Amino acid sequence: MFHIVALYTGVLLKGALKDVVLTVVSSILALILGALGAIGRIYGGPIVGGAIYWYVEIIRGLPAILQLFILYFGLSQFGIDLNPLSAAVIWLVAYGTGYAVEIFRAGIVDVAEGQHEAAKALGLSRFTTLRKVIIPQAFVSMMPNLTSFLVLQLKNTTMLYLIGYADIMYQARLGADATEQPGPLYLMVAVEYLVISAAIARIGSRVERRIAAYR
Amino acid sequence: MSNEVVVRVNNVTKRFGERVIFESVSLDVKKSEVVAIVGPSGAGKSTFIRCINHLHAFDGGSIEVLGHVLVGGTQPTRAELQQLNSKVGMVFQTFNLFPHLTVLDNIILAPMQVKKIARQDATDQAMNLLKMVGLQQKAQSFPKRLSGGEQQRVAICRALAMEPELMLFDEPTSMLDPELVGEVLEFIQRLAGGGMTMLLVTHEMMFAKDVADTVVIMADGGIAEKGPARQVLEAPRTERARSFLRRVLSPMAHDDRDLVANGGDET
Ligand SMILES: Nc1ncnc2c1ncn2[C@@H]1O[C@H](COP(=O)(O)OP(=O)(O)O)[C@@H](O)[C@H]1O
Ligand SMILES: [Mg+2]
Repeated sequence: MFHIVALYTGVLLKGALKDVVLTVVSSILALILGALGAIGRIYGGPIVGGAIYWYVEIIRGLPAILQLFILYFGLSQFGIDLNPLSAAVIWLVAYGTGYAVEIFRAGIVDVAEGQHEAAKALGLSRFTTLRKVIIPQAFVSMMPNLTSFLVLQLKNTTMLYLIGYADIMYQARLGADATEQPGPLYLMVAVEYLVISAAIARIGSRVERRIAAYR
Repeated sequence: MSNEVVVRVNNVTKRFGERVIFESVSLDVKKSEVVAIVGPSGAGKSTFIRCINHLHAFDGGSIEVLGHVLVGGTQPTRAELQQLNSKVGMVFQTFNLFPHLTVLDNIILAPMQVKKIARQDATDQAMNLLKMVGLQQKAQSFPKRLSGGEQQRVAICRALAMEPELMLFDEPTSMLDPELVGEVLEFIQRLAGGGMTMLLVTHEMMFAKDVADTVVIMADGGIAEKGPARQVLEAPRTERARSFLRRVLSPMAHDDRDLVANGGDET
């Protein structure tokens, strides 16, 4: 069993690194789009706001794996052939955006009405109010949710092996088939995911303490 | 007080949904005039002064503020409102400082963002304002670290940093512990002495009598009485005004918040 660990550690770590990079990149994009989406949802009026509402409902309502399969296998029937990497990024961003919109929206509406009034009474524009007054405060109340968001995104990468993306899960799967020792292999995967999740949680609570210093 | 009218409220009606909060209210405020608005809670005092800087829209009549005309039932453009708001300062009962910004950043935010004043100039001006109220050493503190009285003085500085021509105060001392009321009233009185035009909703009857030129009593969906401060408070002509004043001034309904006698000599 130990030689399995020795044999696969390198491969699995490489896969894990891919997952981490994918999580970070897709999360950054999803958070940017999510912030814009939340603003559109709140201030965009019935058409923009309504469209974003439905987008969020669809993303949160459909099983993740179904979304991934529609994107990768479903579209290829219509001649849209995505390679596993692009499909993985597109899906993670699209899926993450659905959740990020809600996280931002909750954070924004959480900011007290008096803050909007004070900003308006000072003559600040709506954009400046959002940028300087509302979003910074929303961030603080959002931090715990942001941490779980990153962990969710990380966990979602496990599904990408199904479309042939060579991440840690994919490598473990190959290894399990080749060596007929799924136990230690999947255990190693579990350990790596736990370590990464713990790191995210740790960073999250650090950042939280830092930006909430004023409270 | 000059004869130039700074605020002209003309027959204004305000509803929330179907409910009429006040109806056909008219009031002129002249340059450098200090108008105190008193009245029972729920009379619509806060709603009224929020109509003046259009934090609330209103339904009928018109309000002319510093040359801007707001018409009931219509929505002014955002640019027009921003312009108006940059000339009208407002101080809230709950201070409403920006909690994530230091005292200094609270004060310089609007001058920098709205008036595009350079950071250094805005900072100098903010420090001068803070010095006026003895809070310069708190410039780098966050609002939560200050007492209520200090927060409210900072909130007033924040409004003053925009160099407003008119200040609106909505019960600026009613959230404060009694011993902190004086420091805030004293600052407001100094502003009044400096010629600032202001509308002030307050429960401090003594302060209203000492500092205000005009007292307005709001009750039952409108203005019950308005006139020179002493006359309204000492010899009210209408029954509604008399019954309100009896209630707040009678020793039986004792509430020392209402009776704090302060002409600014306490601090
Ligand atoms: N945003 C609002 N929506 C609906 N009703 C409101 C709102 N704000 C105030 N009111 C109602 O309007 C009335 C007047 O309120 P307010 O102006 O705060 O009175 P005051 O400041 O004199 O105590 C109250 O009955 C209050 O419940
Ligand atoms: Mg009120």
